[in-house]
Amino acid sequence: MNQSQIAQRTWEMANNMESVNAADEIYQYDRKQQQDILQAKPWEKDPHFFKQIKISALALLKMVMHARSGGTLEVMGLMLGKVDGPTMIVMDSFALPVEGTETRVNAQAQAYEYMTGYVEAAKQVGRQENVIGWYHSHPGYGCWLSGIDVSTQMLNQNYQEPFVAIVIDPIRTISSGKVNIGAFRTYPKGYKPPDEGPSEYQTIPLNKIEDFGVHCKQYYSLDISYFKSSLDKKLLDSLWNKYWVNTLSSSSLITNAEYMTRQIFDLSDKLENSETALGRAGLFGLDPQEKKTEDKLSRVTRDSCKTTMEALHGLMAQVVKDRLFNQIPQAQSQAQESAQPSSQAQA
Amino acid sequence: MSAKDMASMEVDEDVAAEATSSSQSLAVESTSQAASGIINVVAPTSPLPQPAQSSASSSSLSGLCVVVAGGSNSEVVSGDGGTVMASAGTVGSVSVSLHPLVILNISEHWTRQRAQEGKPVQVLGALIGKQTGRHIEIMNSFELSYDELGGHIIINRDYYTVKEEQYKQVFSDMDLLGWYTTGDTPGPPDLLIHKQVCDLLDSPVFLKLNPMARHTDLPVSIFESVLDLVNGAPTMLLVELQYTLATEEAERIGVDHVARMSSHDTQESSLVAENLQAQYSAIKMLASRVRLIAEYVRASQRGEVEFNHEILRQVNALTHRLPVLSSDKFRGEFYNQCNDVALMSYLGTITKCCNTMNRFINRFNLLHERLAMGRRMRGLFF
Repeated sequence: MNQSQIAQRTWEMANNMESVNAADEIYQYDRKQQQDILQAKPWEKDPHFFKQIKISALALLKMVMHARSGGTLEVMGLMLGKVDGPTMIVMDSFALPVEGTETRVNAQAQAYEYMTGYVEAAKQVGRQENVIGWYHSHPGYGCWLSGIDVSTQMLNQNYQEPFVAIVIDPIRTISSGKVNIGAFRTYPKGYKPPDEGPSEYQTIPLNKIEDFGVHCKQYYSLDISYFKSSLDKKLLDSLWNKYWVNTLSSSSLITNAEYMTRQIFDLSDKLENSETALGRAGLFGLDPQEKKTEDKLSRVTRDSCKTTMEALHGLMAQVVKDRLFNQIPQAQSQAQESAQPSSQAQA
Repeated sequence: MSAKDMASMEVDEDVAAEATSSSQSLAVESTSQAASGIINVVAPTSPLPQPAQSSASSSSLSGLCVVVAGGSNSEVVSGDGGTVMASAGTVGSVSVSLHPLVILNISEHWTRQRAQEGKPVQVLGALIGKQTGRHIEIMNSFELSYDELGGHIIINRDYYTVKEEQYKQVFSDMDLLGWYTTGDTPGPPDLLIHKQVCDLLDSPVFLKLNPMARHTDLPVSIFESVLDLVNGAPTMLLVELQYTLATEEAERIGVDHVARMSSHDTQESSLVAENLQAQYSAIKMLASRVRLIAEYVRASQRGEVEFNHEILRQVNALTHRLPVLSSDKFRGEFYNQCNDVALMSYLGTITKCCNTMNRFINRFNLLHERLAMGRRMRGLFF
């Protein structure tokens, strides 16, 4: 049995297509199990019951593309899925035809008709999951819940449990090259959460920082993990065969130019703020004051480091392209010499 | 003064650099695609030993075009009687670009049905997107409900109307473009369904995804229908269309993230390494393609492969395209861009320095004050 045959056998065993893989079992919808869980309602006793959330590859892609298509406007949609112990599972998502979600609490009510129609139609083609949450986008200002979001989510958690809120930032996704997403659940009113330690820091623009600070203790975030089916895996692998061209030719400095400029403006505002605060504190030299201004300046420093690094990444891509496609040496010996350092640089 | 002025200068710079730099990316993209295009032609005609096709997905030379893996269109024969494909050489009338989201949609639909039924089932759905002139962009898809009457599949029209209303509310600028299904090569049952879709739309496209495909390239084929005279009777035949994968920056990042997440065990602590990983994989692919072309040319030279003038002409054209952009204007703008980024990192470093200095001075003052206080106290008492 030669190499290729062995490889094919291994491949076939690994991708056993005849029977349903363990990986694909998550796509089965067990109506009885779901109804039992809905009856038991284990989340009522513990506000911190749900700790993890699993998002399917398709749902993620759909949400990211919908958020992106909104440009600088916030968009919103709903997600379908189910619950499994302390894990919420999101199988699919769909967009809602509403606008201005950041200014109204009842945006979801307006789309109620659309939602019921959609879920009805989905059940007819074999998608039996129920609505498990909502998602919306914060284009350019990070993943957190604003005051309006918190009130909307608290309302949802009263009437439509189990429910989760997801926030996506399409602009930061593109600028940093990683999907910028967060999943949250609010605590009921008056509940004092146990101190859960520092969460991952994210830069918030100056005009939103107050909204963030006031409400940031009223909700907690869930750990996000993703899953995909075996067919997805296969298709994604073969997709790469065509997609590598796009990766190489993407130019993030240009796509992110506007966002970077805005970040720099924001940074300068923050710097001026901390400058005035420092000036005041210098006269009195009180300890608590210094702590606050130190924090302000360190936060600005962290923000500026992040922006700088993104710019540098973009430039790295440009330099790589230039080296590959523009710097063609004329002579044969030169070609060999330049092949050596370039392969070393890439290694 | 500093940051705001710098920012506005940067905006001007960017606007100027955008023209040249975006043309660079376009040039890069077209060169890479030309390299891929040559591989298409090389593969069916060259008897070169397929390099490490079993395991290394990156070096698969057939991983580029649907045509390569399928051989040629005219070989397709349906199960029960007669071909449904038009003769090879018929060129499609539209150009198609496909979003990866559609592929994932279909895959999920199929997986879901299989998980619920326990065995693989054929699924059916509609494709929506935008059409401008002779270019079709397939952007999204949704499932269709159908009934089986006498072994034939009949599409449920009412369901489709309901869904049409819904998607028009959310994606107002997208129209119905065609339909999709899963399975192997197309046959007469597909033509029957295609005729039904023709009632809804003038000339729909038909997408077929093969979930059981064994080869490593994308098992997605797109067809359109033509009316041809076969044995004197006008029959509908299918013509295969070439398609490209549409890109959108957010989609690419999403697809990338989803594709690589399973191998996410090692947490990369270096942000630079993470960022360069994607570039590195893409460059690896490019290098393997180039190596293949070089091998072919050398083999031609040695006489191992028959001399194909067309391919060699294309290779020649490709090499003449390099360097892609090297005018003085481009150089100027490129260095401007480098300077802008250098300026930004300079500002960032200065900010970091200021912060460190501030903290140092605060602590120094604190210490100094304590010491001074101590001395004063001693001065009082002694």
